[in-house]
Amino acid sequence: MNDPYSVLGVSPQATDEEVKRAYRDLARKYHPDNYHDNPLADLASEKMKEINEAYDTITKSREQGGGYSSYGYGGGAAYQTQSGPRQSTAGSNAQYVQIRNLINANNLSQAAAMLNAIPTHDAEWYYLMGSVYWRKGWMDQAGQFFRTAATMEPGNIEYRNAVQYMNQGGQAYRPAGAGDMMGGDMACNMCQNLICADCCCEMMGGNLIPCLGCR
Amino acid sequence: MYGYVRPAKGELKVREYELFRGVYCGLCHELARRYGFLSRFLVNYDFTFLAMLLADGTGKQTCPRRCPVHPLRPVRCLGSCSSLSTAADMTVVLGWWKIADSAADTAGAKALAWKLAKFALRRAYQKAAARQSAFAHSVEDNLARLHRLEAERCPSVDETADTFALILRSVAEGEPDRDRRRVLEELLYHLGRIVYILDAADDLAEDTRSGAYNPLRYRFDAGEGKLSAEDEHTLRAGLQLSHNALAGAFALLGENDYSGILSNTVYLGLPAAAQAVFAGTWNKPATLQRERRDL
Repeated sequence: MNDPYSVLGVSPQATDEEVKRAYRDLARKYHPDNYHDNPLADLASEKMKEINEAYDTITKSREQGGGYSSYGYGGGAAYQTQSGPRQSTAGSNAQYVQIRNLINANNLSQAAAMLNAIPTHDAEWYYLMGSVYWRKGWMDQAGQFFRTAATMEPGNIEYRNAVQYMNQGGQAYRPAGAGDMMGGDMACNMCQNLICADCCCEMMGGNLIPCLGCR
Repeated sequence: MYGYVRPAKGELKVREYELFRGVYCGLCHELARRYGFLSRFLVNYDFTFLAMLLADGTGKQTCPRRCPVHPLRPVRCLGSCSSLSTAADMTVVLGWWKIADSAADTAGAKALAWKLAKFALRRAYQKAAARQSAFAHSVEDNLARLHRLEAERCPSVDETADTFALILRSVAEGEPDRDRRRVLEELLYHLGRIVYILDAADDLAEDTRSGAYNPLRYRFDAGEGKLSAEDEHTLRAGLQLSHNALAGAFALLGENDYSGILSNTVYLGLPAAAQAVFAGTWNKPATLQRERRDL
């Protein structure tokens, strides 16, 4: 394994607080939520694992028997994403399950071929076609298919989440002060949602904003 | 080319700004060295970005050199290196095809000027295309596909943008490390998409007036050459998703000498360009001239 301090980009003389801050920044950057349904998700998850291991190694060696051991994201791979279009297998017929598996395996041409062979187009067909385009990076067409799916079946949460995720411009890591492509309204809405959710969380005894950055 | 891919100058450190100038001037010198004086006119920001993106090692030095634009006071230039040579080759290939396009698309005296330029650069193009044959084939194939889609009045923004995205993606083809190539390909694909869509948005009013093809005219209802607020939001949300993918790939790329400038370009420069395009204040020729004067 690489030197855990160089993985986190801090010197071995750094204080516990500095190590923790470096770890949080990196964990925010390579968080699985930034890479869901992304062709590079495997590389990001490797990176996340490396960061978690480095942080664990440092905290363990610094606090032998101390109470730090429960930190980390558990390797990233086990982390559940919370929003956006993603593949579940609930309520699908056998053919759709197969197509979802193809999409998850990034076999887009075969998934598209199977979809095109289906004569009747229900809401799930539109959703899956949207997922194929999403993976391909054809964001505009993906959005159109997701919106059709959500209009045909307004009660479906999976479709509605996909549309909402697209409309708010998705989720990504951005350093402080970075611009966006949407003219500021995205950042505002997202902050408002976050602060709202954080207030609710805090009333129930939790704290959402630090949860999102790092536990 | 287009000029959307460049750092937000005011946010660069002075040291980074000087290095950026060094790469831009270095690319211009490299063009002259490999392809003769005329090819210098093809130098642009987009390929300056690519030269910095493709650079692997660290510790490259700049040295003072004179040129026709700076005959008295020498400017610091980056010395020849493999990423600069590759960027110069690709600048000539894509630049020549764009001139060929302009020669075919325009009429009258202007067309003659483009044809002369095309003729003057044909040797340079042949040499560059032989050095970067995979890239040259990608440019030729994808531009041919773009022409077909234009002739069909294709209503899909994604499909037309795909042509330019694939051209930029093929810049990474020579990268030997598999993981690094995957990261670069994802980054460049979405960069190409963003550049194409920004250019379409910027040209929308002009194309609507002249009746020229523009995918946005067929994708949205842009009657007066302007998108409705809702359509603009849809388009920009799509751009944001591509920018997320680009930023996600960028975060996975290792550091090099130019990381600060590249990061500025990704997180500040591109959003600023998008802002200007949608505010209608981009105005390519004037902006480009002003920037050129500064360098």
